[in-house]
Amino acid sequence: MRAAERWNEKIERALFRHRSMDYGTAVLAGAAYPKYFVSDRVPVWNEAERGPWSLEVTGLVDNPIRLSLAELQSLPSVTQRVNHYCVEGWTAVVEYTGVRVSELARRVGMKREAQYVDFASFDSDYHESWDLASALHPQTLVAYGLDGHLLGPGHGAPARLHSPIKLGYKCTKYLTRVAFMAERNGGYWSDRGYEWYAGT
Amino acid sequence: MKRHHWIVRVTHWVNVVALAIMVGSGLRIFNAYPAFARRGDTFCCYPFAHKAIPSWLTFGGWLAGARNWHFAAMWVLVLNGLVYLAFIYLHGEWRDLVPRRGDVRDSWEMFKFYAFARRDHPRQGKHNALQRATYFALPVVGIVSVITGLAIWKPVQLGLLTDLLGGYVWARYWHFLAMVLLVVLAVGHVFMVFAVDPYSLTSMITGNYDERLSPEERNARPFYHLLPPHRATKATAPGDTTQ
Repeated sequence: MRAAERWNEKIERALFRHRSMDYGTAVLAGAAYPKYFVSDRVPVWNEAERGPWSLEVTGLVDNPIRLSLAELQSLPSVTQRVNHYCVEGWTAVVEYTGVRVSELARRVGMKREAQYVDFASFDSDYHESWDLASALHPQTLVAYGLDGHLLGPGHGAPARLHSPIKLGYKCTKYLTRVAFMAERNGGYWSDRGYEWYAGT
Repeated sequence: MKRHHWIVRVTHWVNVVALAIMVGSGLRIFNAYPAFARRGDTFCCYPFAHKAIPSWLTFGGWLAGARNWHFAAMWVLVLNGLVYLAFIYLHGEWRDLVPRRGDVRDSWEMFKFYAFARRDHPRQGKHNALQRATYFALPVVGIVSVITGLAIWKPVQLGLLTDLLGGYVWARYWHFLAMVLLVVLAVGHVFMVFAVDPYSLTSMITGNYDERLSPEERNARPFYHLLPPHRATKATAPGDTTQ
């Protein structure tokens, strides 16, 4: 089965096209969009304890940066109505607003050696690493808005990763760190038996 | 002369194993969300939404395990299916299986026979019309399940295919229906093997088949005349002309 997963990843990477886009239909899932997290209770960023939230963009880059929420929101943004594909088999139409990971990569001056990107959160030890091509897909966002509102705590506030080109568990919520890397470093569910690539 | 070439016999049994793994793991995957509707939407055509499949019918233990089995066994299923199809095409066996003129009438004759509305078993060649329909439908539905499976595995990268099938939700539904049809055909096939022609089991293992034991010779309906005909003649007193 491990060999099959490696073989499948090769095929999935070969099938991957930056031009392949996903579009959601008219009916938004809204309140029916499930809220998953791995901590015991809804993870909420505690400012009194940890100071203001910020997003660190680092790793194999020329200029690592740390963005406040206001700074993230001031970057060129995208609003897209897409499907959320869950590993369980359901889909939900969602409208996310955020900054493309490719835009962040450009701003920090991503180095050529970068092949993978890790997206880490403050939700227990949750993180998932991605192949670079998928991370730089135009529909892969660091999102702070959902359905026209600011992201709520149930959906990963203050910011989360979202893309229709990977299954939901690859889209780290409660995001705090984006790190460009030469090697992959697995992920929360990928280390627990779910496939690492998990592309749609 | 063997009834089934060794390639047919091997691919048949590989298919049994692969299909069992695919169906079992597929049902376990389905149980993670045993419904079809998009979140916040409705779906017209599945009356058992949110009712889980009994776990004894599932395989793989948990969602990730079932997915790993499903995405590994799919290659066995596909490659085995390709070997089978290539063989019957090159070797000519496909002629015994494709629909032909008169199949509707022949199927009706078989129905009549099984319903005791006809006395003697129709003689329709290596397989009767009902068998031909089943053995032709199985690979066709198998191909449908592979295509619909690809559409829900890669709904974005193969988005064109998924859209052709009516989108992700419908593609997932067709995939499920194809599975149901495969199971119905396979169960019907196994039932008929044991109820009508258990001697054919040997032919799918060693390839040997005793034509004197065929359903045509025994005039066999489900659970009727299961025993070899010569025993019946032995039991009859010599000179008995009433039979």
